[in-house]
Amino acid sequence: MGNEGTAKRSFIQWYKNKWHNDPLFSIFVALIVMVILQTLVLGFDYDSFDGWFESWTSNWINILRNNAGIGIVALGMTFVIMTGGIDLAVGATLVATGAFAMMLIDIGERGLLGLMGVTGVPAIALALVLVLLFGYLLGALIGITITKGMVPPFIATLGAMMIYRSVTQQTMQGYNPQVPTEFLQISGFQIGDLMIMPIIYWLIIAAILYYVSKRTIFGRQIIAVGSNERAARLSGINVDRVKLHVYALMGLLVSIAAIIQVSRVGAMDVSGAGRGMEMDAIAAAVVGGTSMMGGRGFILGTVYGMLIIGVLNNLLNLFGAPPLLSDAFKGFIVIVAILLQRKGKIT
Amino acid sequence: MKIEMTNIKKSFGNNEVLKSISLTINGGEIYALLGENGAGKSTLMNILGGIHQADEGAIMIDGETAQLHNPVQSQEAGIAFIHQELNLINDLPVYENMFLGREPKTKRGSLDLEKMLHETEEMFKKMNIQLDPRKMVGDLDSSYKQTIEICRAMMTNASVIIMDEPTTSLTDSEIERVFEMMKTLKSHNVGLIFISHKLQEVKRICDRYAVLRDGVLVSEGSVPDVTTDDLARFMVGHDVRTEPLAKERNLGKEVLRVEELTHHPFFRNINFSVKQGEVVGVTGLLGDGRSELFQSIFGADDISSGKIYIDGEEVKNNSTIKAINKGIAYLPRNRKENAIIQDMDILENSSIATWPKFSKAGIINNEWHLKKFEDLKKTLRIKMQDPTDSILSLSGGNQQKVVLAKWLATDPKILILDNPTQGVDVGAKEDIYDIILKLADENIAVIVLSSEASEIIRVCDRSLVMYQGVIQGELIGKEMSDHSIMNLATGGELAEERSEK
Ligand SMILES: Nc1ncnc2c1ncn2[C@@H]1O[C@H](COP(=O)(O)OP(=O)(O)OP(=O)(O)O)[C@@H](O)[C@H]1O
Ligand SMILES: [Mg+2]
Repeated sequence: MGNEGTAKRSFIQWYKNKWHNDPLFSIFVALIVMVILQTLVLGFDYDSFDGWFESWTSNWINILRNNAGIGIVALGMTFVIMTGGIDLAVGATLVATGAFAMMLIDIGERGLLGLMGVTGVPAIALALVLVLLFGYLLGALIGITITKGMVPPFIATLGAMMIYRSVTQQTMQGYNPQVPTEFLQISGFQIGDLMIMPIIYWLIIAAILYYVSKRTIFGRQIIAVGSNERAARLSGINVDRVKLHVYALMGLLVSIAAIIQVSRVGAMDVSGAGRGMEMDAIAAAVVGGTSMMGGRGFILGTVYGMLIIGVLNNLLNLFGAPPLLSDAFKGFIVIVAILLQRKGKIT
Repeated sequence: MKIEMTNIKKSFGNNEVLKSISLTINGGEIYALLGENGAGKSTLMNILGGIHQADEGAIMIDGETAQLHNPVQSQEAGIAFIHQELNLINDLPVYENMFLGREPKTKRGSLDLEKMLHETEEMFKKMNIQLDPRKMVGDLDSSYKQTIEICRAMMTNASVIIMDEPTTSLTDSEIERVFEMMKTLKSHNVGLIFISHKLQEVKRICDRYAVLRDGVLVSEGSVPDVTTDDLARFMVGHDVRTEPLAKERNLGKEVLRVEELTHHPFFRNINFSVKQGEVVGVTGLLGDGRSELFQSIFGADDISSGKIYIDGEEVKNNSTIKAINKGIAYLPRNRKENAIIQDMDILENSSIATWPKFSKAGIINNEWHLKKFEDLKKTLRIKMQDPTDSILSLSGGNQQKVVLAKWLATDPKILILDNPTQGVDVGAKEDIYDIILKLADENIAVIVLSSEASEIIRVCDRSLVMYQGVIQGELIGKEMSDHSIMNLATGGELAEERSEK
């Protein structure tokens, strides 16, 4: 025994220590377990390794691509929750910005940019900028309501949710914009023969926000504000400004998700799209270790959380589980994730 | 009731905090637990309170092995605990806080609010506290909160009460009333464990003492047999300076002036000015409004009327950011609520105020902050492991030093310190006084808010004494004494004070 025994023991020690002290570790382990499960379920019933690998990767690319938009929204939601807030308006902001994008680039006779004489690639570039600005603005409006109006985030975003969606629906009534094919390249552009642009956007944004949360003043101030608002103010932090920026950033990220969605399918159903998105985003953040009390949150954890939920949906598909039950499983995962983290918490 | 703790050991990770401690506490005695910041006092008491579990060792209550695996078991065993940091629910009124966890019920099973209110009123009357029990705790100043915690523990009919630095926010007259209560409890055979860095208090009220140093019991005995100097020496391992501090300095130009400053209902018609190189004390009793006054000057609170001048220039639309940029630093009292950010590590808690100043394109300059913190850590002798550990892994006094480090790092022109030595041990207190005087020598204006007259007298050149929101009088140099400060703080007049001389 000797060597082997101590090696095993020190691994267990390391594992225990990690489990108790690194809040991301338990989430990561859960993710790995689910990936293994998923791989087993996919099976190895292939002629060659290449055949298996191809099917495995294409399944994964599907998961990632399907969750890229909401994954981006969940990143913003992480910041919002870290300040001690919540944003219920993301789904409505998604349709508002998506509809705005379609109105701008419509190649039919009502297209706004077309009417102004801007067409082709410049029109698309201009549209992108305007949509991002619009998303930022819609978020900032919520932020101002919360900070200057001192309306609790739950109420402010609940109100915004209803306003944004219903105004969008009214505006888009009986209007079917035609999205130009160039616009579809934003999501549809292929690298090799893989359609992975949405995944790349997600990863880039996750990387940027990870850096923001770790190293920038803004990122650290978010934690301070969510953890102890009074102490943050007494340390010279402009609490209102931080919150305002967090909601504005949320709006901006939602508008990116909207662009991805519109450019994937070439249309958006303004009454159905984005419904329940806020709950999925919150679920991803919470599974990833973000505390609803504010202060504690992890961008990387939210990426894991999103993947866990994505793999779960995929598994349910593979198992042929009744689609109506998929929310039940999601709810179950959220609760289990919280229980796991409770155990891993340092007291 | 008799509590025996034998060979208690406790480590946090690799940090061996308690190294085989044995103590016996009897009913009907007041037992002082002393030691430097980080010596292990709170940890030992947390084990008795069921919050932490000892790695080794046993606890016997009245000769029987006690199982204290959680706070409830400890309470059921008859132990009440007043924690070092405040533990009240801000969103409940005072009287409900008094009965947290042991709420009386009516016959129909609902909360007996009448009874809670009534008993709280009785208690406050006994303690001579003028406070409406229906007030929300969140609206109260930290000294009221501390008083409430003490009353709450005393109402539980516990056989042993642990008091972990219960008097850090209180002024002398409130402390006096707490002592009266302690004596009454003692005569009813209740055992009291009293942790404090104020050795005069220990000397006055305690029967026996134990001193911890680095997790080892280094001295134990009977309080009447020793002097406060002895106790100080046992704690830090060498003599603690007691001689007066040198205060000869040349004052520069005026840096801060306020005119007719008013914020109802906290303070009104405040006028004073402070010069470079001056150390000005501000003191008073509960409800004097001094913290509110300086929070307003710092831009954290509004003013109703009046003017604030910094460097001769009027400040309008004040905010904390503006104040910091103008060179004001304000260390607030009550660190848990006003300064400690639980979800951040030690380094971040020490650097949050300087992030904007030492950053590039919004990215924090970590190297600078780490270097600065290492310096301050040495000067302040902060006892800690790693700068990236949680702030909550530090002992109370060391957390206080981190908060002080944060404000020293801002290189202020005007340094406002509100109860700066809260929970800081005798040796470290002298370190902080040295820092204050050194800063004054470097032409910085220092304003010390304190409820301890001795602290004001020791470091300040002059002192403003407040009484119910107004400046009752100013005492300069030798005029400052326990007596004169108390006289003004209770509403006495300066003129009679001077004519007595
Ligand atoms: N939860 C914890 N995790 C890690 N280390 C801890 C924890 N609690 C206390 N410590 C460490 O244990 C040591 C003793 O801390 P303790 O709080 O008991 O000191 P203390 O004697 O009460 O000091 P003070 O006078 O400052 O309150 C310190 O070095 C502290 O850093
Ligand atoms: Mg302590």
